[in-house]
Amino acid sequence: MNPEAPNPNRVLVVDDSEFIHELVRARLREEGLQVEHQLTGEAGLRHAIDVQPDMILLDIELPDLNGFEVCRQLKERAETRTIPVIFLTGQSDTAAKVRGLDLGAVDYVIKPFDDVELRARVRAALRTKRLQDLLQQQSFLDGLTGLWNRGYLDHRLEGELNIARRYERRLSLLLGDIDHFKRVNDSFGHLFGDYVIQRIAEALSTHARRSDIACRYGGEEFALLLPSAGIDEAALVAERLRIAVEASPFHLRGTQLQVTISFGVASTEGLDPVTNESLIARADRALYNAKEAGRNCVHICVPDQPGAICSFTDFQSQLSD
Amino acid sequence: MDPIRSVYENDSDMADLVRSFVAEAPNRAQLLDDLLSGGELDELQRLAHQLKGAGGGYGFTLVTDVAARLEDALKEGAAESVIKERTSTLCEVLRAVRAPEGG
Repeated sequence: MNPEAPNPNRVLVVDDSEFIHELVRARLREEGLQVEHQLTGEAGLRHAIDVQPDMILLDIELPDLNGFEVCRQLKERAETRTIPVIFLTGQSDTAAKVRGLDLGAVDYVIKPFDDVELRARVRAALRTKRLQDLLQQQSFLDGLTGLWNRGYLDHRLEGELNIARRYERRLSLLLGDIDHFKRVNDSFGHLFGDYVIQRIAEALSTHARRSDIACRYGGEEFALLLPSAGIDEAALVAERLRIAVEASPFHLRGTQLQVTISFGVASTEGLDPVTNESLIARADRALYNAKEAGRNCVHICVPDQPGAICSFTDFQSQLSD
Repeated sequence: MDPIRSVYENDSDMADLVRSFVAEAPNRAQLLDDLLSGGELDELQRLAHQLKGAGGGYGFTLVTDVAARLEDALKEGAAESVIKERTSTLCEVLRAVRAPEGG
């Protein structure tokens, strides 16, 4: 999902006949779409995962994976789930139509197709996709801070883990929790508590790289997902954030209030199995340790020592050893 | 068989595509013959299915109709003589398609 970018209107055609590729390309020309194609189910699936087109025209009879199986796998994966699929096939029996639609396809067009009808159906599918993206974007935003919410983190983490596995890239996660937040709320009221959360969210956004994903994970908990970053880089980001929060006290009715935050840091390095749950659990354990160690600190899950967690200072000295 | 023209031959979006389909059609006919004589009926059925899907799109409805009849025969496991006859009809049709000159 990339809601900020204007719709690039990329359409992927998966069909084992080049006659159909050329025909669809010509017939969709006036729609101003970028048409890409693949000849096999495997290649189509890979293409869809890699470039995430805005819609897919999918044949059923393919030389390797059939179209039903391709559709099933597309709908199973977080990163391709919302891409509308239109079956474009010579199979005209009701059973095939029902099966295709029940697998999650939005439409079913029979070959040989009528070009005017195909264009109308493609337009309809793209219209729905745009609304769906907008709706999903709304449902994934945190109202108070404007950061992504926990639902988005779960969704995005699954996709990022797939990418990390496929390309053998690293991926790190920071979990942060405002120290003694209840005290802030109790002493200064919820409105002020909300203000603190907003300010810390800003700090998180400011320190995040463009590719990082900043989320409000819960009440006073934050998460920062760092694609392609290893544990050492993530630890540094956490420490920088911790210092930034510590260095910006709040002022209220002539009083200065110091707010601090603790972080747990984990990465996919040495993680087994690599799942949403296992990575979050790792970061959560590190965060718990940071709280136990007295708060206002960063604790790190050490990748090459299973179960080992250490402070930022120890981690730095280990690195320099 | 009389020459068969595409209903899209005067459609400027389609003229080039029709020409490339027509240029390729004799090769497909040859392939159909080869698959039949080699007994590769699964491949023959796949090719018939493809031609059924493509033919009408290029303005050759007859290709679609005749290819569909061959596909049906193969699906139903029809007698060899039927398959042979329908394959040769499809080949004839493929060899009869024509496009306007130029491009």
